[in-house]
Amino acid sequence: MSASGEPAVLLTGNHAVAWGARLARPQVAPVYPITPQTPVLEKLTEFQARGEFDAEILTPESEHSVMSACIPASLAGARVFTATASQGLLLMHELLHYASGARAPIVMANVNRTVASPWAFWPDQTDSLAQRDTGWIQLYVESAQEALDTVVQAFRIAEQALLPVLVNLDAFYVSHALEPVRVPSQATVDAYLPPFAPARRLDTAHPSGWGNVVTQEMYAAHRRAIEDAMAQVPALAAEADREWAAHTGRSHGVVERYRCDGAKTVVVTLGSLCGTAREAVDGLRDAGHAVGLVKVRLFRPLPAAALRAALDGVADAIVLDRNHSPGAGGVLAQELRAAFCGSAGAPRIRGCLAGVGGVNVPPERIAEWVLQTPAGHAPAPMEWMR
Amino acid sequence: MKPIDIGTATWTTRTTEGIRTGTWRAALPRHIQAPSPCHAACPVHGDIAEWIGQARAGDLRGAWRTLSRHNPFPATIGRVCHHPCERACNRAEHDEALSICRLERWVGDTALAHGWAYEPPARARSERVAVVGGGPSGLSAAYHLRRRGYAVTVFEAQAGLGGVMRDGIPAYRLARTVLEGEIDRLVALGIEVRCGVRFDDTAALEALRTSFDAVYLAIGARRRKRLRILDYAQPWVMDGAQFLERASRGAAPALGRRVAVIGGGSAAMDVARSARRAGHDVTVLALERRDTMPAQAEEIVEALEEGIVLVDGAMLLDATPGADGLHLRAVQVRAERGADGDPVVTPVPDSGFALAADAIVTAIGQDPELAVFGPQYAFERGLLRTDASGATGVPRAWAGGDVASGARFVSEAIGMGERAAVDIDRTLRAAAGEAVEPPHAGRGAAWPAVTLAAINLHEHPKRPRAASRRRDAAERLAGDAEVQLALGDGEARHEAARCFSCGTCTHCDNCITYCPDLAVRHAGGGYEVLGDYCKGCGVCVSQCPTGSMTMVEELR
Amino acid sequence: MSDATTTGSPAPAGPAEELLCPGHAACPGCVEPLTVRHVLGVLGPDTMAVIPPSCMAIIAGPQPFSSLRIPVYQPTLESSAAAASGLRRALDARGERDTQVIVLAGDGGTYDIGLQCLSSAAERNENILYFCLDNEGYMNTGGQKSSSTPHFASTGSTPAGKTARKKNLAEIVAAHGVPYVATASVGHLADLRRKVAKARAIRGFRLLTLLIPCLDGWGLRDDGALAAARHAVECGAFPLFEIEDGCRYTINQPRPTRPVAEYLALQRRYRHLTAEQTRVLQAEVDEGWARLERRAA
Repeated sequence: MSASGEPAVLLTGNHAVAWGARLARPQVAPVYPITPQTPVLEKLTEFQARGEFDAEILTPESEHSVMSACIPASLAGARVFTATASQGLLLMHELLHYASGARAPIVMANVNRTVASPWAFWPDQTDSLAQRDTGWIQLYVESAQEALDTVVQAFRIAEQALLPVLVNLDAFYVSHALEPVRVPSQATVDAYLPPFAPARRLDTAHPSGWGNVVTQEMYAAHRRAIEDAMAQVPALAAEADREWAAHTGRSHGVVERYRCDGAKTVVVTLGSLCGTAREAVDGLRDAGHAVGLVKVRLFRPLPAAALRAALDGVADAIVLDRNHSPGAGGVLAQELRAAFCGSAGAPRIRGCLAGVGGVNVPPERIAEWVLQTPAGHAPAPMEWMR
Repeated sequence: MKPIDIGTATWTTRTTEGIRTGTWRAALPRHIQAPSPCHAACPVHGDIAEWIGQARAGDLRGAWRTLSRHNPFPATIGRVCHHPCERACNRAEHDEALSICRLERWVGDTALAHGWAYEPPARARSERVAVVGGGPSGLSAAYHLRRRGYAVTVFEAQAGLGGVMRDGIPAYRLARTVLEGEIDRLVALGIEVRCGVRFDDTAALEALRTSFDAVYLAIGARRRKRLRILDYAQPWVMDGAQFLERASRGAAPALGRRVAVIGGGSAAMDVARSARRAGHDVTVLALERRDTMPAQAEEIVEALEEGIVLVDGAMLLDATPGADGLHLRAVQVRAERGADGDPVVTPVPDSGFALAADAIVTAIGQDPELAVFGPQYAFERGLLRTDASGATGVPRAWAGGDVASGARFVSEAIGMGERAAVDIDRTLRAAAGEAVEPPHAGRGAAWPAVTLAAINLHEHPKRPRAASRRRDAAERLAGDAEVQLALGDGEARHEAARCFSCGTCTHCDNCITYCPDLAVRHAGGGYEVLGDYCKGCGVCVSQCPTGSMTMVEELR
Repeated sequence: MSDATTTGSPAPAGPAEELLCPGHAACPGCVEPLTVRHVLGVLGPDTMAVIPPSCMAIIAGPQPFSSLRIPVYQPTLESSAAAASGLRRALDARGERDTQVIVLAGDGGTYDIGLQCLSSAAERNENILYFCLDNEGYMNTGGQKSSSTPHFASTGSTPAGKTARKKNLAEIVAAHGVPYVATASVGHLADLRRKVAKARAIRGFRLLTLLIPCLDGWGLRDDGALAAARHAVECGAFPLFEIEDGCRYTINQPRPTRPVAEYLALQRRYRHLTAEQTRVLQAEVDEGWARLERRAA
């Protein structure tokens, strides 16, 4: 591990995303503004105005058109980046399926914001989690530094798996909070991320089309190929993170175990809640409780093997879901239960809807939940942290 | 970094050329050669669309050669033909019929101006053929036989060749130089001509028939029909043909100022107009109403412009000489053409009227002189009987022209001469042991004549036909210069461009251009339809501007 | 106003390099592949096409076959102009600035669901050449009405006749101030080819609306599409004109020479029309023509 010598600059999560995107040298960046993502695109256009970013930035009239533009640009062999949030991501829904079906390695940053209706602008991850079936790889970050690092790693993962990647950061907690961020040099990123050179692309020298109607068998085979690619993503993500560590000294992991050794109860969560949970865990440990945190960084594909290993021997897992799937509760809790279904020695999983709609979740409340989790409880399908 | 292979499920790898959509169709278009309606109507079955196409492209020599396949007298025919081709022309229903006749004149005149000669016969045959009669039918037969290599001798009773073309059609319709030029060119093929020779009896004709390998009898119809009510011995009565013969020699008879011409056909018009040029006041009395007179409509117009008075639908009852000339009594009639060609006339009650004249010239038709044929020949309705190829049934004897047909058109006569020549040639080659095609081979086309419905009119914006121009009437009467003026080169080319070219492909490539399935392509100078892909939609047929594509039902 | 010849001399006999293949699934006699064949013939092989769901998408071939010898991308129905914009920018980023990016979209994907992103691409003056293959309805799905369907026409979703008039796409797009907008049809082939060549040489957003009579949807004989297209022009129902830079109008045909009734009589979709409705249509066509002449003056 080599420490990178770059000085730290104060950046918001959004600006860190913009820096990560700039360094990855995308060639096409269609963008459309939506709170709280707008500083990302404004930063990119500022870079361009200063002559420091020569991607083709285009400003279509909607997010649906943004993603519609991204896909053929990617199929033409250009590296593509964009960013959105909430309603914008929802409006892209049709095209998210289209992009993964097209095996287009687009990287998109999504600022997790409540979805209407009613209207609200607060941190909530329902927007991206509701896209979990669209074939996009999904990563969740808890800090501005991680946001920058993950955007760059995302291109590497995407261009090997030939699947698009969604990098998620919580509204305001991550997108707007200022933190010291080490911005790697262009040379470092160039060494880490070679130019995009797909084997197949839209090319007048080899005229071939994409999108003709297929038979049932072709469709099924195509889905199997997508699944095969997904199956390799946890290893690809781990490798990308290791390589990043070799270049920058920073590693974030695919699943992070924080103070889990000997823990009987573990908090499991995504995104900025991890930061809050770390404090709660530290407090509980100081008070002598064997409590840890498992941060799920790679959500889709769910790294089930890594999670089972991380939670091996743990009696109770408390899943904090800052999202809500009506009728089913928290998405991470569902996914975790599914990952452990039929496994021997699975922990009891207590699903907790914490911070839905952006409600503040202080570390004390997390600690209370941990301590108030009865031993041997039969977990309810869902519970709301109030 | 190695990307995962995504397989080929969604990128295309081949073209649709492997998909044979030809299985969809129930009918397949074919590129064909079909007869044009003008060709079908033409008495010489000229390849009209073809020669007009060559003329349109500027290849007048090629056009003349194509014309000359059938007709050695284009400049003549282009002046005097009754042009049934124009009545049949598909363009007539679109805007106006093509000026085929004047275009033929243009090609013929150009050939004469350039002095183009016929190719000599490819081989010389030993057989000898006699042609009796040097008029249009005899000369046509002589031409076609000579081009096939036969030794031909033409026997003509008059001092010069031409028949009715020479002494029946006045110079103002057919200039002497034109006629002589076309006759000389024909004779130059190597035809022996014996003028001033007449066969007066059956023995002489028999001797001729047995001393040649074949004879073609085209002695015409020279016996003038006479009105029974007139005494032709009188100085104030004359036969129209006699009048024209003298006028054509420049010796028009002196008949007194007022001349009444009896008759409604071209001959009557020729007599009337010749008389006018000789200074007479002329009245024409025709049995038929003007619109059913056998004369060509243009001739009637020109005659009226020249100051001739037309009394149509009227019959002469008698003529009585008096101190101030002749008193003619006439009556209005209804006249219809009977089945045998003779008019059926019904006087209109209480419609008698009088006319004054100094002389009467009749031009009411001619009959052939049949006494020279022996009893072995067959006759019907006052004509020598032949089959469709001119064979008389008497060995080695064929016949055609006015002696064997009541049609009385120069172009008919020329056509009959060709058909007989073809049959003579077939017969003589068979006799020489050569392989021959069956009779009437080449007649009867594989496809019906093209109709207007088959022409893509989008390619042909409406345009009027080239305007007729005639010499001013006063100028006409001053001499015998040709009345109908020729088309200029530019006008003629422009007119030729109006030809739809019915049934003769012009290689416009519309069939290729408009096929949605790229199923038509060039092949061997023409076009072929790719059966693998053609869906039988018929767009190529609808876009063809000449009717050269047609749908044929496919039964599979 | 000019009346450049639109009839008369035949068009050149097929493009020099055929970029459309036989074996495609268009209905027998359909002139949509014929139109695209000639469009591509003028544009040449350095072209990429964006083709949304439509008859053309089916004509483009079933996987793994393509009927077009150029790269094709099929987007979702409502996003052709957006997809073309993305493709255009990617090619520009790769230095392939002269490769033509074209759209071959139906009227459904242009006038209706695709109008939003079309407007945006036009506003940005994206360097794409957008062809609307206008058969005046959602024909690929069986013949339902679109906002391009003309007044009184019977369709699957307006069986008694459409009560609204046809949207004027050319003028809507021209109002964006784009360099070139034109109408054309394969029934006037020389005019179509000239306009494609002209559009090809311009950079910026160009729209050509091409009338495609639909045999099944309009009720025409298999060989009747070209006659219908020509009648549409000759009666003034589909006038041929160009609008340059959003303001300079040129009319490319003589004044109408046919009454609208002759055009309507060719098509089953108008068989139910009353005499009064025919009069209304004639008046609408006359008024539209008069307005066009004023603009072109």
